[in-house]
Amino acid sequence: MAEKQKKDWSRIKYPDSYISLGIWISILLFLTYSIEYLEIPLDRLVGMLQRMGYTLANRYYPPDLEYIADLDYMEYVLETIQMAYLGSLFGLIITLPLGWLGAFNLTPSRRFVYPVARLVTMGFRAVHEMIWAIIFVSILGFGMLPGVLALTFFCAGFASKLLAEEIESVDMGPVEAMRATGANLFQVMIFGVLPQVRVALTGIAIYTWDVAFRAATVVGFFGAGGMGWYLKRNVLQIETERVSAILVSIIILVLISEFFSAIARERVMKMK
Amino acid sequence: MKSEEIIIYRQKKRLRNIFIFLILLIMVIWSVDVTIVEDTDWERMGSLSDVLSSAGRFIGIDFSLFPDLIVPSIETFMISILGTFVGVIICIPATWFGAKNITPFKPLTYPLGRLLMTLSRSIHEIVWALFFVAVFGLGALSGICAIAVRSVGFIAKMSSEAIEDIDVGPIEAIRSAGGNGFQILIYAIIPQVIPQILGVIIFEWEINIRRSAILGLVGAGGLGLVFFRQMNTFNFHGVTSVIISILGIIVIGEFVSHKMRKRVI
Repeated sequence: MAEKQKKDWSRIKYPDSYISLGIWISILLFLTYSIEYLEIPLDRLVGMLQRMGYTLANRYYPPDLEYIADLDYMEYVLETIQMAYLGSLFGLIITLPLGWLGAFNLTPSRRFVYPVARLVTMGFRAVHEMIWAIIFVSILGFGMLPGVLALTFFCAGFASKLLAEEIESVDMGPVEAMRATGANLFQVMIFGVLPQVRVALTGIAIYTWDVAFRAATVVGFFGAGGMGWYLKRNVLQIETERVSAILVSIIILVLISEFFSAIARERVMKMK
Repeated sequence: MKSEEIIIYRQKKRLRNIFIFLILLIMVIWSVDVTIVEDTDWERMGSLSDVLSSAGRFIGIDFSLFPDLIVPSIETFMISILGTFVGVIICIPATWFGAKNITPFKPLTYPLGRLLMTLSRSIHEIVWALFFVAVFGLGALSGICAIAVRSVGFIAKMSSEAIEDIDVGPIEAIRSAGGNGFQILIYAIIPQVIPQILGVIIFEWEINIRRSAILGLVGAGGLGLVFFRQMNTFNFHGVTSVIISILGIIVIGEFVSHKMRKRVI
């Protein structure tokens, strides 16, 4: 009798335990297969940390801070900030109609407008900002205009997705009340929906600024203006100490911008 | 008196709002002037028809390129999966240190975890890839490392926030039954947060597909390399086909992640 009670308690019961084991084994098999397929030199992983430490200490370590304490560089930093500002602003301007048309519950036509708006949103979002930057540079030439456009498209992509999700979770009571009194589409949007998503929209705007600024620091890598161009030049010249100085400046700028957006987010939370 | 005060308060508020809007407007005009009006080489760009014709070069698909795109697409897919996997492994200590309620030694490890997250998020994946290419040489390994390091920030941040919000009841129950710290972690904390964390990981994987598609631009394998080659040989129709195949992978990834997230939650 005592031996029967020995059966251990386990968190996952009989059939599920085999299924989860199978999933784990197939994941592992897939991982090993892809390591094989990509021809990853696993022997290089052995000295990885050592090599990383060596590279950091010998080539990148003393960041050439004098190089970035230059007035020219400050001008580029300012341009980067302006580019991110304009990019996120224009992106948000595109977002407002796109998020509305792409929200399933309030779109003017579920059969035609909704899929198109969703497709446009996905297209904006799916193509990475770097690819947008390269394409716009090849169309419009070097300068900050392609950078601004690339950031605009990038921001419009994910901000409209977030906004559409926010609009879909809106309380339909006021909307139906307004419809019952004979309000048209725009009136419903402006007086019924916008007041409900106002706070969320502000949050989305802050997030957009965060992401846009991070992207703006490197968009210039392919000739779209801002600090990225400095980075590219020094990477190509293998001036690693200057590169690390630029990276330090990017991190500091991002920290400053995150600090301000944290303050803004707290104020938005109070608004609720 | 009371109503007058309210009126004055409203007027002040209105004045302040107008002031803020004016500042924003001036900033917009100034930025537009500096970035778009002054910095653009309008002569090189030419008239609108020139711009349209140079944009028109991209319209059209180079179908002969598609067979060559299959292998890079699979590579991109695998880089994103392996990168996410390695990223999750790196995440475990970062999450442990960065969650306020389970961090082992608060004054030292909590800031350390937060620093790791910010560092990984604030540097763009292209820059990470450049660094790893310098360390490991060209190839998929640098791309995997870049993606892994870049995804640590988001996953660790979201999962440590999830851990900070958990219900403390089960922890206390296990502690009162005599469980040690490790048992608390396995039986009280992880079961509560695993669906959320899996959702975050799947979401990050979806983003990582997008990232791994461009890492080839700096020599880290995948579709980006093909994109770069097509761009440099001015085969604009080929560029369009690469973009279409990137879209294809992303649609597949989004579909898979949607199904998986539905199953997890």
